[in-house]
Amino acid sequence: MKMRNFFKVTVLMAALFVGLLGSSVWAHQQAFENMGISKPRTERSAPNFSLQNIHGEMVNLEDFRGKPILLNFWATWCEACKEELPSMQRLYDALSSQGVEVVAIAIDRKNFDRIQKYAREYKLTFPVLWDPDQKVRRHYFIMGLPTTYLIGPEGKLKGFASGARVWDSPDSIQALTSLKNKL
Amino acid sequence: MFKKNLLSLFIANICFLIFVPLSQAFVGLCCAHCGGNMPLNIPGGGIPETHEFRFKLSQMYMEMGPLRDGTSDLKTSSLLGVPDSVTKFAAVPEEMRTYMTMASVAYSFTDNFSGMAMLGYVRNDMDMKFNSALTTAAGGKSGFTMFSHGITDLTLLGKYRVFKDDELAPTKQASVMFGVSLPTGSIDKEFSRNPVPGQNGTILPFRMQTGSGTVDPVLGVTLQGSNDPWWYGANFKWEGHLYDNDQGYHRGQELRYDLYLMRQVHPKAVLLTELNYWYEGKYSDEPFAQRVNGEGHVGFSPSGGFISPLNDPDNYGGHQMAVSFGFQFQPIPLHVLELIATMPIYQDLNGPQLRQDYMIQATYYVELPTKKSRRHKGFKPPKELGF
Repeated sequence: MKMRNFFKVTVLMAALFVGLLGSSVWAHQQAFENMGISKPRTERSAPNFSLQNIHGEMVNLEDFRGKPILLNFWATWCEACKEELPSMQRLYDALSSQGVEVVAIAIDRKNFDRIQKYAREYKLTFPVLWDPDQKVRRHYFIMGLPTTYLIGPEGKLKGFASGARVWDSPDSIQALTSLKNKL
Repeated sequence: MFKKNLLSLFIANICFLIFVPLSQAFVGLCCAHCGGNMPLNIPGGGIPETHEFRFKLSQMYMEMGPLRDGTSDLKTSSLLGVPDSVTKFAAVPEEMRTYMTMASVAYSFTDNFSGMAMLGYVRNDMDMKFNSALTTAAGGKSGFTMFSHGITDLTLLGKYRVFKDDELAPTKQASVMFGVSLPTGSIDKEFSRNPVPGQNGTILPFRMQTGSGTVDPVLGVTLQGSNDPWWYGANFKWEGHLYDNDQGYHRGQELRYDLYLMRQVHPKAVLLTELNYWYEGKYSDEPFAQRVNGEGHVGFSPSGGFISPLNDPDNYGGHQMAVSFGFQFQPIPLHVLELIATMPIYQDLNGPQLRQDYMIQATYYVELPTKKSRRHKGFKPPKELGF
């Protein structure tokens, strides 16, 4: 009798666990879907890079290892890019304390001062890097702006979004936090 | 009245373009033509993004006058006299005003190839002065305003980008342009307001016709460059007139080049300047209505002198160089407004003919993404990175 009860409880707990896991995975997938984020067929390592930030310091992708990253490519001449920058800052404000990183790479060939100006204007506190030679842009196969990659804490590419998004939406927060939880 | 109608038509068309239902496009994306901004008054300017349409509506106004022979201006009164076909004529132009509404549609089939069609509606008013004999014949009127209007020739063009140094934001691009101009305009426009008895119903001079009457090949090359915040480039265009139309003549060959420089002064505004050059050859011959029926000749005799310098096919064409100034403005996404003023700086013209005084052009341009457009569905994620 005791064995039968134990078996029932175990099955119930397992079902509950699978259900919770399933609903969490479903919520994660739903968040990606709602944000129009494509998931990779095979997870590959994000191409590494080393770029100057707006303060003149060199920043390496490896510096963020262990954190989920929203990696955004933009340019000062891209209006759609500038429209989504404030939502990226709000996302950073909301999740940076939880270890989520936001990194924006400006691909302007010149006008470093204009990138600095926009960073000041939009009060961007997350790392803003500069790729004047377009090398990193090419390694990430950027064909339109803005383009955003989601990178997992282990450095693998987890998602791709073409075009502007509202990055502080509940779906976006769900998508980023799910990466942190390594789902 | 006609001007009011034309203005109403233009405003109505702009309203249509503004409120035309767009595809549910996701416009928050810069695509493959980010480095390809170009003045809209230059042939081939304004290439849409891949799998997108663009509609362009232009209203042009041009004033011509006074007369010029070579590089010297002439007074209309100096050519009035007993017609001898060379120095004296019975009717001489003084000024011309042209209003042209141009509508064009373009579609980009690929990143590098787009097709476009252009059709215009033109109205010409040319003020004429009579010599004393024609003034008497016209019942004391010393002149009149010659008038014609109608649709222009239809131009179909393809533009193929043969070189670009970058997919996303090219700094150097080269394209070839090819197409035809189809004879949808008229070569048979006739006098309708001439106060001289017997003249109404006779053929109007060459420039008052609204078409060439021939299928004309068009070839061009466009070179574009950019260096933020500048855009610059050159456009070369040749339009051939290779055989005679139904009136037994063809227009002179046309060559045009435009050099342009644009500077972005605001995220939504660009200032621009151009150097424009045109060459046009003389007309090949008189229309049959003149050389057979004697229209445009004194006494309706083909051997009689020309009534007006406008009747002589040698009094057309020449070299012109002009500068243009203008700006482009994007009031709302997908819509662009451009205003350009053009003023000649050099004109070496064949025979006595009216020279260009100035030209202004307003253009409204709207992009219409389709469901196949990247701005509708975004770019595909790269396979190379596992997507």
